[in-house]
Amino acid sequence: MSRRQREDGAVWVFGDYRNYFQNRVTLQLLARARELAARLDTKVAVVVMGYRVGRWVREYVAHGADVVYVVDHPSLKYYLVQTYTRLMERLAGEHQPRIILVGATGFGKELAARLASRLGTGLTADCVDLTIDEKGRFIQTAPSFGGNLLAQIMIPTARPQMATVRPGTFQELPHDDSRRGEVIKLPLPGDLPPEKARLIHSRRVKPRRRKLEKARVVICGGRGMGSKKKFKNLYELARLMGAQVGATRPVVYQGWAPEEALVGQAGRDIHPEVLFSFGISGAIQHTAGIHDAQFIVAVNKNPAAQMMKMADVAIAADANQVCLALIRELKARLEKKK
Amino acid sequence: MNYEPCVKHKVVRNTVRDFAEAELRPIAHEVDKNSRFPWEVMEKMQGLHYFGLQAPRELGGAGLDTVSYAIVIEELSRVCAGVGLCVTVHNSVALYPLLKFGSPQQIQRLAPDLISGRRIGAFCLTEAGAGSDAGAVETLALPCDEGYLINGTKIFVTNGGVCGLALIFAKTDPDHPRGAPSVLMVEKERPGFSVGEIEDLSGMRCNPVSSLFLEDCLVPPENLLGRRGEGLRIGLSALDTGRLGIAAQAVGIAQGAFEAAVRYAKERQQFGKPIARFQTIQNYLADMATRIDAARMLLYRACAARDQGQPFSAEAAKAKLFCSATAREVCNLAVQIHGGYGYSKEYEVERYYRDAKVTELYEGTSEVQRMVIARDILSAPA
Amino acid sequence: MKLVVFLKQVPAVTEIPWDPASGRLRREKAPGMMNPACRHALEAALILKEQHGGELTAISMGPPAAEEILREALALGADRAVLLSDARLAGADTPATSYTLSLAVRAVCPDCDLLLLGNQTSDSETGQVGPHLAEELDLPSAINVEELKLEGGVLRVKRLCDNFLETLEMDLPALVTINTQGHPPRQVPLGGVEDAFSRGEFLVLDAEDLKADLARVGMAGSAGRIVKVYPAGGERRGELIKGAPKRCVLELLERHGDRLGGYLRKDLGGER
Repeated sequence: MSRRQREDGAVWVFGDYRNYFQNRVTLQLLARARELAARLDTKVAVVVMGYRVGRWVREYVAHGADVVYVVDHPSLKYYLVQTYTRLMERLAGEHQPRIILVGATGFGKELAARLASRLGTGLTADCVDLTIDEKGRFIQTAPSFGGNLLAQIMIPTARPQMATVRPGTFQELPHDDSRRGEVIKLPLPGDLPPEKARLIHSRRVKPRRRKLEKARVVICGGRGMGSKKKFKNLYELARLMGAQVGATRPVVYQGWAPEEALVGQAGRDIHPEVLFSFGISGAIQHTAGIHDAQFIVAVNKNPAAQMMKMADVAIAADANQVCLALIRELKARLEKKK
Repeated sequence: MNYEPCVKHKVVRNTVRDFAEAELRPIAHEVDKNSRFPWEVMEKMQGLHYFGLQAPRELGGAGLDTVSYAIVIEELSRVCAGVGLCVTVHNSVALYPLLKFGSPQQIQRLAPDLISGRRIGAFCLTEAGAGSDAGAVETLALPCDEGYLINGTKIFVTNGGVCGLALIFAKTDPDHPRGAPSVLMVEKERPGFSVGEIEDLSGMRCNPVSSLFLEDCLVPPENLLGRRGEGLRIGLSALDTGRLGIAAQAVGIAQGAFEAAVRYAKERQQFGKPIARFQTIQNYLADMATRIDAARMLLYRACAARDQGQPFSAEAAKAKLFCSATAREVCNLAVQIHGGYGYSKEYEVERYYRDAKVTELYEGTSEVQRMVIARDILSAPA
Repeated sequence: MKLVVFLKQVPAVTEIPWDPASGRLRREKAPGMMNPACRHALEAALILKEQHGGELTAISMGPPAAEEILREALALGADRAVLLSDARLAGADTPATSYTLSLAVRAVCPDCDLLLLGNQTSDSETGQVGPHLAEELDLPSAINVEELKLEGGVLRVKRLCDNFLETLEMDLPALVTINTQGHPPRQVPLGGVEDAFSRGEFLVLDAEDLKADLARVGMAGSAGRIVKVYPAGGERRGELIKGAPKRCVLELLERHGDRLGGYLRKDLGGER
């Protein structure tokens, strides 16, 4: 367990540039890092590793980095977790950051976990907020063990303090070409242990779930729909509304809806104009993904369910019955116009 | 609320519950509504030893103790009583008698198909004129040179519509009115064996209960189970074990209905709050929970007695008597708690209510159970 | 070949009862089950064992009740089950957990070829233990694996990572975490349950057996301290509509039909 007490180190962000332009998590983390650094009276640094990464270096400076550490080498062309971990460890050892933030992409989570073990420090996953409290302590807010709970965590002694953050949690700063930052180019150390995992083949695949994330109208269904057969009614309603169908984790586990429909922390964040929520209780793993909806209509037999409190209009009735009634009513109104 | 004598019983329960929730829950309503025997689930159960629950591991069974057996039947019946019925009848009153009274040759010849579930077993005792009065059977298995020629009609045969091997309770001596009842094993392929219409029963409708017709059905001498005249002994022994299975069914049905009632009481709001906050409902739930616990204890006690090699007829009768009454009472209260919705087929409790009643009727009515218990009391030395 | 699969017992409910007074989770009130992803990892391990022979050890860190899931693993075909149970191991964060698991590997299967874990747990969902453990033991790792194949001492895996379908190769020993997309778990046979108890090899190890550095396990070994736990909020507390489903729908459309119509870009007007 690391007990380094270096308290004037910088706030670091791992430069995850794969899938840029869609993947903007590094820019989002940079924005929050700037706030943290301001409170702590220190700088923001980004670590960029790869091959021909000049473009990302400029992006990161324009989005808030004071310092960019760059390791540019052909052998780093593809993301390889053991190599990147050892490199980050070297850099962290030399420059002693106080905080390291990593975007919770698939690679980021693996990298952050391996790095935390390497550095003998802790790691808080999927933080929904990062702040400095009145005592100057770095506070990480993360969901706690299911349910609608959030936990605020602080790290008394271990350094650096590490956290992963989901894309979409923070808002990036506008691109500002006038910003200046220090770019420190570092060579690839010759004595890194060889990478034991070999990348044989890598192929970009179309993101499976974009429809749901881009949808203006979303209908989400939960266990309160009652059965797989009844859940299907939501698709009929979606057809009438021109909506996409999302689902909660229990429903996906039961096979009522495919994995791609999962909305929430482990699935998709959706940003619809209107969200219809049928038979959902409102566990935070789901509700974390729906905050951005402009207008929420929730249907649940239980008026006290958390989801009902989050809605603009809450209908206390059987979810499937309301779905069917809504289908009938919309059919009557929409088909009448023809 | 579950009394778990040991970790093994907990794991057995979890295993069967997972299976029942995954495979039976989605179809329970439909198989009851359409009186459909779920072959697709039965096939999955074959590979998981459900058809040889207490058969030895060396023969391909699961080798479970009797408490574990009861837990399996309870957990199946908690979701789909008709399937629980199929499994318990097959195990207790078809396979078990074969393993206990059969010769090594008979076991070698017939047990593998039963244990693997390739053949489903049925036990045929009841006739139009012989219900509780088992000695009044008229089916005759006439001894002849080639074996036994069987004539008669059996009714209300559980698993009748799908059975591959039927144990027929018949008299073998036509000259005596209650002449030497014996058990003959009849494979369904035997000429002269046919299945009648499936009964249209109130509950457990996915189980194809039917009549079986035996018309000059010839079976070889090696199909006699045990000795001629030993039928009563075999039958009673089978029923002692069978009653544990029925009691387990009843506990499962009660448990399923109870859980539905608790869920409903928490969700249903009247007069501004969930009905679970009203004392009357709370009293009902408390009574239901207590009765189910007591029933389970009584059942496990009888199961443990059997495993310890002690006589357990009276204990099994008490368990069956009490557990079946509990099922009826709990299901009645469960429907009551649901109010009008409890009377609708949209809600599960309606089916549990129908399923519960027969547990007081088959494998010995409650009156017969009392007979057994009273006899045990009065035969004890003063 | 020697396989090790790590299992976790998680609450079998989607929301764990929480005691607002103490801010603690009432885990004992919820029945337990094997974490779904762990079940898939176990299935992957069983398939490898069937294909290549060898020995499979199942390990779980948890309270005594975790014996249930280890016996389940034995019932499904694991050769050995090990429970790491000790009050001092409780309250561990992911690095402390991984340290403890690494000690178990050193204690019971130091020459193991492949370690398998579920990609994440249904209660914590961090997905971190696998990679931590790989680093503790200095092993190559691949997380979120959907397919794996072993040929001549080399493990080839396929996984989807950030919209890249990647095929990776690793020399053994290695570590993988398995997702829930592949390896549909088989049902537990009842005969297996009987065997798991009558002949299954089941060990319980405590902190001493593991030769644990007590400063690195459990709460003592965890870097973070919880300052506060509170409900998530996000409450809008809008209006409530009650009644028969059809009436609710009519009321919804009466009050908000125009607004909804705007969002849907459709005219939802009824009889005017």
